[in-house]
Amino acid sequence: MIRLAIGTLRRHRGAYLGTFLAALLAAALLAGAGLLLFSVLTATPPADRFANATAVVSGAREVTLTTTKEKHKKGKTKTKTKTKTERLSGAGTLPADLVPRLAELTGVARVVPDTAFPVELTTAAGPVRGADGAPVIGHGWSSAALTPYRLRAGHEPAAGEAVVDADLAARGGLTVGDEVRITTRTGVHRLRLAGVAAPAGRDALPAQGALFLADGAVTRVSGLAGPTAVAVLAQPGADQAALLAAVRAGAGDAPVLTDADRVQADLPGALPDYIGAISVFGFTIGITAFAAIFVLTGTVALGVRQRLRELALLRTIGATPRQLRRLLGMESLVLAAVAAMPGLPLGVLVAHLVAARFRHLGVVPAQFSVRVNPVVLLLAGCAGALVTLVAARFAGRRAVRVAPAQALVETVVAPRGGVAARAAVALVAAAGAVAVLTFVPLGGPFGMGMTFISSALLLCAVAALGPLLVRLVAAVPGRLSAGTGAAGWLAAATTRTEVRRTAAVAVPLVLMFAINAPLLLNGELTARLAEEQQAARLAGATTLVTGAAGLPLDTAARVAALPGVTGAVATVPTRVVLAQEGKPQDHAAQGLLRTGSDGVLDLAVEDGALGGDGTFAASADLAAAYGWRLGDEVPIWLADGERVVLRLSALFTRHRGFGELTLPAALVAAHDPRGLVSTVALRHSDGAVSERIGQRWPELRVVPTAAATRTGDGNQQGAWELLVVVSLGFTAIAVVNTFAISAAARRREFADLRLAGATAGQVHRLVDREAVITVVAGLALGVAVTSAVVVPFSVAQDGVFRLVVAPATYLVLLAGVAGLGLVAGALPVRLVLPRRGLPALGDR
Amino acid sequence: MRIHGAGGPVVELVEVVRRYAGGSGAPALAGVTVAFAAGTFSAVMGPSGSGKSTLLQCAAGLDRPDGGRVRLAGQELGTLREPKLTQARRRRVGFVFQSYNLMDSLSVWQNVLLPQRLAGTRPDRAWAREVLHRVGLAGRENDRPGQLSGGQRQRVALARALAARPEVIFADEPTGALDLGAGREVLGLLREAVDDLRTAVVMVTHDPAAAAWADRVVFLADGRVVSELADPTAETVAARMTAVTAA
Repeated sequence: MIRLAIGTLRRHRGAYLGTFLAALLAAALLAGAGLLLFSVLTATPPADRFANATAVVSGAREVTLTTTKEKHKKGKTKTKTKTKTERLSGAGTLPADLVPRLAELTGVARVVPDTAFPVELTTAAGPVRGADGAPVIGHGWSSAALTPYRLRAGHEPAAGEAVVDADLAARGGLTVGDEVRITTRTGVHRLRLAGVAAPAGRDALPAQGALFLADGAVTRVSGLAGPTAVAVLAQPGADQAALLAAVRAGAGDAPVLTDADRVQADLPGALPDYIGAISVFGFTIGITAFAAIFVLTGTVALGVRQRLRELALLRTIGATPRQLRRLLGMESLVLAAVAAMPGLPLGVLVAHLVAARFRHLGVVPAQFSVRVNPVVLLLAGCAGALVTLVAARFAGRRAVRVAPAQALVETVVAPRGGVAARAAVALVAAAGAVAVLTFVPLGGPFGMGMTFISSALLLCAVAALGPLLVRLVAAVPGRLSAGTGAAGWLAAATTRTEVRRTAAVAVPLVLMFAINAPLLLNGELTARLAEEQQAARLAGATTLVTGAAGLPLDTAARVAALPGVTGAVATVPTRVVLAQEGKPQDHAAQGLLRTGSDGVLDLAVEDGALGGDGTFAASADLAAAYGWRLGDEVPIWLADGERVVLRLSALFTRHRGFGELTLPAALVAAHDPRGLVSTVALRHSDGAVSERIGQRWPELRVVPTAAATRTGDGNQQGAWELLVVVSLGFTAIAVVNTFAISAAARRREFADLRLAGATAGQVHRLVDREAVITVVAGLALGVAVTSAVVVPFSVAQDGVFRLVVAPATYLVLLAGVAGLGLVAGALPVRLVLPRRGLPALGDR
Repeated sequence: MRIHGAGGPVVELVEVVRRYAGGSGAPALAGVTVAFAAGTFSAVMGPSGSGKSTLLQCAAGLDRPDGGRVRLAGQELGTLREPKLTQARRRRVGFVFQSYNLMDSLSVWQNVLLPQRLAGTRPDRAWAREVLHRVGLAGRENDRPGQLSGGQRQRVALARALAARPEVIFADEPTGALDLGAGREVLGLLREAVDDLRTAVVMVTHDPAAAAWADRVVFLADGRVVSELADPTAETVAARMTAVTAA
């Protein structure tokens, strides 16, 4: 059987080329996306700052919520306990008295309190950051022993002095004795560079720059009440197990980390953050897997359908249905295996290229690297083979099942069976899409993902009902074409009667448009709305004051208090954790400091009023999602894990590109390790205010509001665009591929036409017209699917009904897909059938 | 058997040479000179590989000879290039091939009118209906070829050829895929086309019984005309074939 399968593959080399290409690309995409997701899921922190410590006691790094549910069942009471955690963006501290307690334990050589806090390092030349923009983290000098960092030049820092790692020194052009400035939430500190240190064998740890202060200065500069971690160094030869047990007992609730886990005790901001990358790559694999499977299924089905005649012939010469099924199965496996050979290495290449681009865009940490895993590659290859197999079986089921005598006739008259099954699939898929679009809040963080899922479901429905839908939508262009000469008339007839073939070619066009258009349009809409809301929020502000590294809160307060300023709002960006039915959820928030007149920052408060200490405000959407009402007392976990209870005093609507909650600025600054003001919005009528700021704080940037409203998540938009480029490329190849397969299988039909008296030019025109009809039908369906998704998304965003979100993008995409379809339709027939060629009579 | 007062030749081949693609080896046609008169039914016979199909294709302008001249209805084919060649062909020639060569996506009626539509002339619907009636397919106009039997399909092909009022119909094994009865019907219709419509028919066949329907049989062997037979019967054709094959 395998020999027969390989034989057929060989004989139909041309016809299989298309399927092979689709299988190759599908394997490459699946492998590429799989490797990216695998790499990001298994990514480990690049280096351990606690490498020299035996064990590290960590402050809080996550919020843990435990819910207990009681279930009454058959008179028994079951208690079910669920524990859910969410990572903090900051770091909790440990009580200072832990250090002497641990120091007393036997076997302990040394206990080092480690305080890690982000600092913004600036020299006269400007801000200095680590490699790839890595943050600079401040520590007391005693922490240097944990890695260990050793001095390369100068001496240990004394009060008013600092030591930086060799990489930072090189980047900032710093030498011992230079003056540096560091900004933390406690203010701006001027320090003299006492020395340069480095870990063994390198200039700095990857992903974090290090700045050491005198141990006595740490509390004042960091504003932290205690160490963020406490490291224990064992005496040589000490009983490790006993020591660890003692440390665990002494640490109480705080986790004690050893070996590879020690790194988790570091400041979250000092470790590459793969959370965003996981969601991006999760989405990538979702899109690529869908597109790959969709395209592969369609191509395999097209290829098998074109060989129904041969399959039927095999039936007539005595092959049993079982043998045919096995033949198809073998064929698909051989094809998929051969395609995987170049496909999987190509996938590795794709993964590297996408990763490089994402690193460049800042979507993934600069330290991210692709790890090639054979199991992932194998799985991708198997997935491709499975899809090929199932698609071939499904497409061949008719030819396999019919009675031999009927087989030959059946192949000529297109089988009409399976309408009920197709309708059922389409109905379920469409119902799923409607359910997603209706019941999932598309305005939330999953809006984009959900719209993708609904367009995928709608595409499945379109594919299932392809022939029916294409017959419907191709009727109008067909009728128009019929009136334009013999070629047009023929094209109308062939697209109508060979509607399955038309659908097979049109569906990839639908896919190409309806997968990419919603991604692009919805991305553009959210970016635009964020920009519009940003502009609207700041409409009442005259100027914006920002620092290269952010402003300490008290500097912001002094700016706000300048004479001539009538109103000011300073914002401190942070993240908080909220409890949603026992599940901790991370949200973006802003600390607000408001002075003077209202309306400098217009959040469009719907209900209530922005309050002072002890209160917070939330976006109306968030309050609705959590079921809060004005006046509710709500527990909120701040960046360092501190739980506070605040009263909801206002609901606002302009939250895009800002944050879903606002809290008192002082509270945020005290609990977010960074805790710096990003922007001070000022209202003043006195033009001299700007000059005064420039004189007092030359490092601050002062710009008129009108010139500085552009924000938006540039990274995210860039990531979308890259995804769209990948999927556009793949779907474009699918379009060209299906057109080519379709044309290659029509040599006989073309030859018959030539015999009936058609010139080569007439056949070309016929195929061109068919391409026009197919493209019009495909785009009509594509636009329908896109609209079904884009409109609810738009309504969910701001209640506005938009059919065409961005006309320029829409038109370019429409024209691009149409152009590709027309070229892909027109080109193959010209290669198969040269204009001056005689009718081919061979191979019949 | 009938003898027809034939006019001038409608198809004329002079010293036609055609080599197989690839070049080396014996040519398919090694200098064939033969003429087919208007309004006559000719059969071309010969063993496999004797060049009979190549002869037909060169005569019909479907293939280009490497040497010699072909005149079709007074027109020198050698001077014509595509698409002029196709235009000449569809004005003067009809085809009936073993594999029917119908468009599966068109109905019987549309298939019959296709050549005229392609020529851009106003289709003669009354004549097309008449032709379909003659081949016994009146009432099947809206069927698709896939719904017809082999014999019926071949009759559609014949109707399509006749509907354009060609001067000559080229038929390559027209009964090759048909059973005896259906084959006989098609041959009868070809005969009628010659007798009633004064169309010339040039038919390639390997079946002596089919060749017996013709007025004249031309025998080919190794790319040359080796023999001719007028007023053939199945027996005389078979005898001559045996002689030709043995030679």
